[in-house]
Amino acid sequence: MNLRPARALLVAGLLALTACGDATGDRPAAVSSDWPSVLKAARGQTVNWYMYGGDEALNSFVSRTLATKLKPYGVSVNQVKITDTVDAINKVLAEKQAGRNHGGSVDLIWVNGENFATGKQAGLWQCGYDLPNAKYVDSTNPAVTSDFGVPVDGCESVWQQAHSALVYDSSKLAASDVSSVTALFAWATAHPGRFTYPAPPDFTGSMAVRTFLYDTAGGPSAFPGPTVAAAYGPASARLWQRLLTLAPSLWRKGQTYPVSQADVEKLYGQGEIDAYLTYGPGAVAQQVSKGVFPSSTREAVFRSGNIANDSFVAIPANAAHQAAALVVANQLLDPATQLALFKANGAYPAIDLARLPAAERQQFQAVDLGPSVLPLSELTAHVQPELAAAYVTRIEADWKTHVLQR
Amino acid sequence: MNRLRHPVGVAILLLGVLTPFVPLVLWSFAGRWRYPGLVPQQGTLRGVRLLADPTSQVLQGLATSATIGAAVTVLSVAVGVPAGRALGLYEFRGRSLVRLLLVAPALVPGLAVLLGTQVFFLRYGLADTRAGVVLVQLVPAIPYVTLIMSGAYANFDVDYERQAALLGARPWQVQLHVTLPALRPALTVAAYFAFLISWSEYALTLLIGGGTVKTLPLLLFAYAGGPDPTEAAAVALTVIVPPLLLMALVVRGLSGRGGTLGLARS
Amino acid sequence: MTGRRPRWVTIVLLLAPAVTVVGVLFLGGLGLGVAQSFGYLPFLHGWHWGLDGYRALWHDPAVTASVGLTLRVALVSTAVATVLGVAAGLLLHSLVRGRRTVTAVFGSTLAVPHIVGALAMVLLLSQSGLLSRLAHAAGLSGTPAHFPALTADGFGWGIIAEYVWKETPFVALVVLAALSGGIGELRGVARTLGAGPWQRLRHVVLPLIAPAVAATSVLVFAFSFGSYEVPALLGRPYPAGLPVVALQYQQDVDLNSRPEAMAVAVLIAVVVAVVVAGYLALIRRLSGRPL
Repeated sequence: MNLRPARALLVAGLLALTACGDATGDRPAAVSSDWPSVLKAARGQTVNWYMYGGDEALNSFVSRTLATKLKPYGVSVNQVKITDTVDAINKVLAEKQAGRNHGGSVDLIWVNGENFATGKQAGLWQCGYDLPNAKYVDSTNPAVTSDFGVPVDGCESVWQQAHSALVYDSSKLAASDVSSVTALFAWATAHPGRFTYPAPPDFTGSMAVRTFLYDTAGGPSAFPGPTVAAAYGPASARLWQRLLTLAPSLWRKGQTYPVSQADVEKLYGQGEIDAYLTYGPGAVAQQVSKGVFPSSTREAVFRSGNIANDSFVAIPANAAHQAAALVVANQLLDPATQLALFKANGAYPAIDLARLPAAERQQFQAVDLGPSVLPLSELTAHVQPELAAAYVTRIEADWKTHVLQR
Repeated sequence: MNRLRHPVGVAILLLGVLTPFVPLVLWSFAGRWRYPGLVPQQGTLRGVRLLADPTSQVLQGLATSATIGAAVTVLSVAVGVPAGRALGLYEFRGRSLVRLLLVAPALVPGLAVLLGTQVFFLRYGLADTRAGVVLVQLVPAIPYVTLIMSGAYANFDVDYERQAALLGARPWQVQLHVTLPALRPALTVAAYFAFLISWSEYALTLLIGGGTVKTLPLLLFAYAGGPDPTEAAAVALTVIVPPLLLMALVVRGLSGRGGTLGLARS
Repeated sequence: MTGRRPRWVTIVLLLAPAVTVVGVLFLGGLGLGVAQSFGYLPFLHGWHWGLDGYRALWHDPAVTASVGLTLRVALVSTAVATVLGVAAGLLLHSLVRGRRTVTAVFGSTLAVPHIVGALAMVLLLSQSGLLSRLAHAAGLSGTPAHFPALTADGFGWGIIAEYVWKETPFVALVVLAALSGGIGELRGVARTLGAGPWQRLRHVVLPLIAPAVAATSVLVFAFSFGSYEVPALLGRPYPAGLPVVALQYQQDVDLNSRPEAMAVAVLIAVVVAVVVAGYLALIRRLSGRPL
């Protein structure tokens, strides 16, 4: 399959062709930057929020805590659980392709990275809105103004931070086994079949491969710029070699890979594997308390660092309930909501804690999620930024060619 | 002979059928069940609690599935009974062609047939709606109703209708008091099949419902793909209970009638 | 009935609703699928007719591998379910006491949706499933990895197991229904004429149930070939079941994949139609033979 940016360009081109056939040229209603009128329009609306549904703690947060906070505004949320954000993007694109320029079925999407890039290229997003709570966000922070190298340009609103980490069973792996990627691979070779990662283009699988790449190449500084640099060639060749050497020691001897992160977590819970990489280390606490994961579950961060990114919510331009979606996006930035989210599943707040009064800041710092979850200080000590979207799509395609199909 | 014939054969049969239910039931109540335990190390009711929890959307899914199922049943029976009558009672040119057309959707996979229509459903606002889902589920349901009813009508002696008409009954009275009661066993089975097809449908609901129309199979698929087998198993049990209950009712209703024409009433 | 309206009007009125719905959705759907497989893109401009969809399909390793898997799984499942179903049906028919109860239990799987069956098979047959744990208890398997991979495997064993589990009772009940006629008398006559049990089976019982079993196994094949959720839950991402590939390509943002997606859908329909037609022709020929 082609690279995603190229495909998105094709789609954008085809959409331009639809414009000639569109007699009435219906445009979405302009969003008012006058907040009181937005609130007025939002009253009584239900937001169809398309988001990854595999995190029970998050689902609970949305349907309970967030719903309660939105009630005073007369807005309710219908959480549409999806397994892959690209499904929601495809849906909005399909609606555009079919000529549905307003009254769309998707009001809000939890999105970042290449999915945001695809949407931006195809002109899917509502842009340039002002949220009152945006004052809590540090607008100089590149993690907020640029999403996997693509400028945000006001087309999405930041929501939470994700820090990756390795989750492992401490009764099977020692602390030394998880200190670096090399140590982990050595452990995996000594204990064949007990480690794996989901096949890219799964979001977490892609992250796993990028983590290994950072370790192989010495860090993301080797891959600058929005397009794929020359240094990528030799570095990636070394990476594929390393992964191919590792493959026979993986689950199912590396002949097949789990198709999604949910599958990987299922394998871990069932005791088929002993370690996995995740973007959501905070959610592990709930699985341990439910008994799905063993109580000896612990987390670790490699010496070479862990990848972190911000995730956002974006509003499609053809959304049926734009005003209500804006209210939800604004509510997500509210400090009390961010604190509740942090407590619910360890999602590190996206707002700038320095902009809060001291008492509120302390509430964040006082949250304790239990022994199975790494404290924030450790999670954020060796943070590495994401690569540009172009690298991500290239790595996913190359992994398929060089590792899966070998 | 009073003892059970072929006890070994029957045992194998029952074992084969019942074995897959075992992990399903056990997992629904398993709090902690790590490999290699043969039974859960710890029990829990959180699977059951999940069903009532609004976050899980299971009750919502139950209502959606039931509503769509009822609509598909009613519509496919309304459409399939007359068609079955035409095919069963009348000889006419082109009958085998019509029969082929009406039965074909039972054979040709629904997803293959309807994949090309999704764009149209999207454009005309039927995608992501229950109405759209009901419409596509009619495609696999109508053939079964038609087939069953055409077989039943073929075995139905139309003289009973003529006699009733001769005795002065109006056409609708004939249908209501003579024909339909006589066909009640077949009608019950046909309606049950239509409901079952709708209740179990996944791919078509996904295609046209777009993930917005959340029937139980859609919810179950999401849970089945997730990391928690306890929740998935609990939802799975919820999905089986209504069709099994209905099946018990249908079987009881059928064996009571014994296939008579019901004329004993008059 | 009343003679007031012409017979053909009655027939047309009776058939109109069903034929309209099926005609529009089934024939229309197939037509749209075929058109889109040749390049038609509804509501858009700049498309052109062509064989690109079929060309892409021919050269796509994911599709070729998928056809092999789906066909193999469907054929094996149909064969096994038919043989086991006939055996089970005959067994049930021979029961005097307890036939009702055993049949009811046996037939309960009919009410179980395939998606539930797929989950049950995952919980039973996966490397950390119940069967694997039983093997561990019996000392046959030390770790999950020692147990053979029956789910997400290259052959499709888990998928076959689910189809066989669901369809065998279906075939058995059909056999039971077909035998509920005057089979006892025919067998009695044959016995009087000196036929042994095996001969009675071959020349009396099997020919009697053959038409019904043939029709049922055709249905089983058609369903197994076209099922989406079972290979999605029990199979591998590559090669995936053919319907899984079709839906995946149809949902692709890149409209270049659309003709190929529709070509896959057409392929599914054609394969099923060909197999069904060939099978029915074969049955018709066989049943024309004198006993």
